[in-house]
Amino acid sequence: MIKPIFIRTARAVSAQDSFNSNDLLQPGRTLTGNRFTYMEPNYQDYFTIMQLRRMSRITRLGLVTAIECLRDAGDYRPEAIIMGTGKGSLTDTEKFIHAVREFAEGTLNPTPFIQSTYNSLNGLIGLHHHINSYNSTYVHTGFSLEHALLDAAFQLNEQSIQTALVGSFEEMTPEHYIIKDKLDFWKKEIESPDAIMKSSPGAISGEGSFFFFLDFQQGAAPLQLVDLTLVFEPGEGAVLNAMDAMLEQQGLGWDQLDVYLSGRNQDSRYEHYYAEVENQLSEITHQLHFKHLSGEFDTAAGFGLWAAVRMAEKNQLFPSLIRKQGSAPTLNYMLLYNQYYGKQHSIYLLKKT
Amino acid sequence: MPSVFVTGMGIVSALGIGTASQREKLAAGVSGLGPAAFLNSIHKTEFPFGEVPFSTEELFSRLSDYSKLQQSRLQALGALALEECFTGLERKPAGIRQGLINATTVGGMTDIEDRYFELIKPELSEPDMSWAAGLDCATGTEHLARQFELTDFVTTISTACSSSANAIQFGARLLQQGAVDRVVCGGVDSLTRFTVNGFNSLKNLDRNACKPFDANRNGLNLGEGAAYLLLESERSLEKTGNKPLALLSGYANFNEAFHPTAPSPEGLGAYEAMKRTLEKAGISPASVSYINAHGTATLNNDESESLAILRLFGERVPPFASTKVYTGHTLAASGAIEAVFSLLSLQHQEIYPALNFETPIEVTGLIPCQTYRQMQVEHILSNSFGFGGNNASLLFSRYD
Repeated sequence: MIKPIFIRTARAVSAQDSFNSNDLLQPGRTLTGNRFTYMEPNYQDYFTIMQLRRMSRITRLGLVTAIECLRDAGDYRPEAIIMGTGKGSLTDTEKFIHAVREFAEGTLNPTPFIQSTYNSLNGLIGLHHHINSYNSTYVHTGFSLEHALLDAAFQLNEQSIQTALVGSFEEMTPEHYIIKDKLDFWKKEIESPDAIMKSSPGAISGEGSFFFFLDFQQGAAPLQLVDLTLVFEPGEGAVLNAMDAMLEQQGLGWDQLDVYLSGRNQDSRYEHYYAEVENQLSEITHQLHFKHLSGEFDTAAGFGLWAAVRMAEKNQLFPSLIRKQGSAPTLNYMLLYNQYYGKQHSIYLLKKT
Repeated sequence: MPSVFVTGMGIVSALGIGTASQREKLAAGVSGLGPAAFLNSIHKTEFPFGEVPFSTEELFSRLSDYSKLQQSRLQALGALALEECFTGLERKPAGIRQGLINATTVGGMTDIEDRYFELIKPELSEPDMSWAAGLDCATGTEHLARQFELTDFVTTISTACSSSANAIQFGARLLQQGAVDRVVCGGVDSLTRFTVNGFNSLKNLDRNACKPFDANRNGLNLGEGAAYLLLESERSLEKTGNKPLALLSGYANFNEAFHPTAPSPEGLGAYEAMKRTLEKAGISPASVSYINAHGTATLNNDESESLAILRLFGERVPPFASTKVYTGHTLAASGAIEAVFSLLSLQHQEIYPALNFETPIEVTGLIPCQTYRQMQVEHILSNSFGFGGNNASLLFSRYD
């Protein structure tokens, strides 16, 4: 769907200690229960108490993740800021819904209303660094991050811009967890700490924020986004067809994939999609997964993409992600496949530079 | 850049259902603002609203097919605009990849907010909970995409008041990059207690009909509605044989990074969005026939937008006006609704009168066009500016 672009830097806040080290070389944090929450960065390093008081939970998180991604890139002037979020700041949305009822539509504090607006974080990043640029925010559940990446890639491809900051942010709240539970999103029985590894209907809830600095040229970028293809509610065989077409276009065979990053979340209702892809892989390919460390959410593929960037930079696999060791001696081509409750399917072809 | 052709349009607003109803009222200078009948809020008669004058049931009764939709005001409004968009056109031509780029600020909030507090009680559940998915902005979009077979590419954009202008831009880019052959772009928002109280908390709702560009303006009125444009590439036109209504000849988006909710006093974002749009189209400011202004009638917007217009157009400011006084500010739908108004002007070679204007803003002295006028209309610049400094402009050009 796109022509290749480059990912210069990547940052992640997740349920793992991924932010400070910017890798996953340390042992994974053992997570239990049905909801994985992200590890909060040390906000005092970035903001005054007054500033923090004005920012809600996910807003401050997204802003800090963006700040570090730009700092790593050594470039505070991206020509576009494009965001993806399935749910925006749920905390603010809920706070305002409650305030409307509690104060019977009387005099209300506007701050939660403003921050519930899906593009408010986008605006804040621009404000924080005085970035005058293109900006847009995609709010399409399991495609939110991918559409932000596509928008950036199109503009980099046509060279109307040369750099872009693309990011996602997602939080889960107790209230929204209940709503999604009624929609059968979550696993019902969590009797053991490793429930996330067991196949049953539903997923484990997660959250996090991921930012990427994109460049039209290679420079020092560790990873190339070769192609990105999206399939909505695929019919029989459509996902594999899309992958075959993507590989063929690059003149690649399945046995040239060194790494496969899977969005597997042990939700038995949709596992067959992942199983079909795994059937195509040869013994060469290292099979990795990541949601056992992050949980499931609209923009969780960002955790996989972040891991791919960082593994390419370090030229080594993160041990806690390995599901099945392959024999490939290098990490050149990587395939990342994610689907969100069977509806939104994303296929990333990546190449280490 | 490859050309982007507009071949279909559809609309629902406080002015009624369909383009004919809109044009009739615009030409006659009849506003759709009034007390709300269907909004569930104590403010429903305190402020004027641009409410679509039908109950949700009545909206559904006017649809020819809604088998794939949920019982939702948002989806009903969107579907009515989409049905009109395909009037006389084949819905799903063979070999054409087609998608939907939708825009909304709060998704199905209208449909959910009255039941939210039962929704968050774990013990309260019913056999079919699918309506609860409406809180996700994507839900309405996907139902509409399935109903109208626009599933080769489906997305939702939310950048506050500029959302559907950004949807149209992204759609144009998808065509120009060859990702799809044709794409329906636009937006939908229905009036909600959530949003009404949000704007009320910001203290920028006028208790009377708004007065765009007037020195004594006192805030905006909220509205609801939906509008969509069908955009086609040259390749698609060769297959469909559809006749273009107009060209989308330029577009731009610019974040001025000034303030979370207010525009910069001098209108930097508005200026850059308009200037870059004209540059992309390769035309000079002097070629612009008419400006469909964002003109929300808030103290901040109208003055900064006026200053941006003066900076770009100098002594030769083309006729301009804001239609927010007809429809209310329809938020995510406004960019697409006003794109349809711009297309009507191009089609019929006419412009519509500003209402409620008496006194020019002192520092700018700009006076909007106050009479219905038949004139040569070649290029229309349409502005949509939003929270977070998100400024978008579109340029529509006559196609012969």
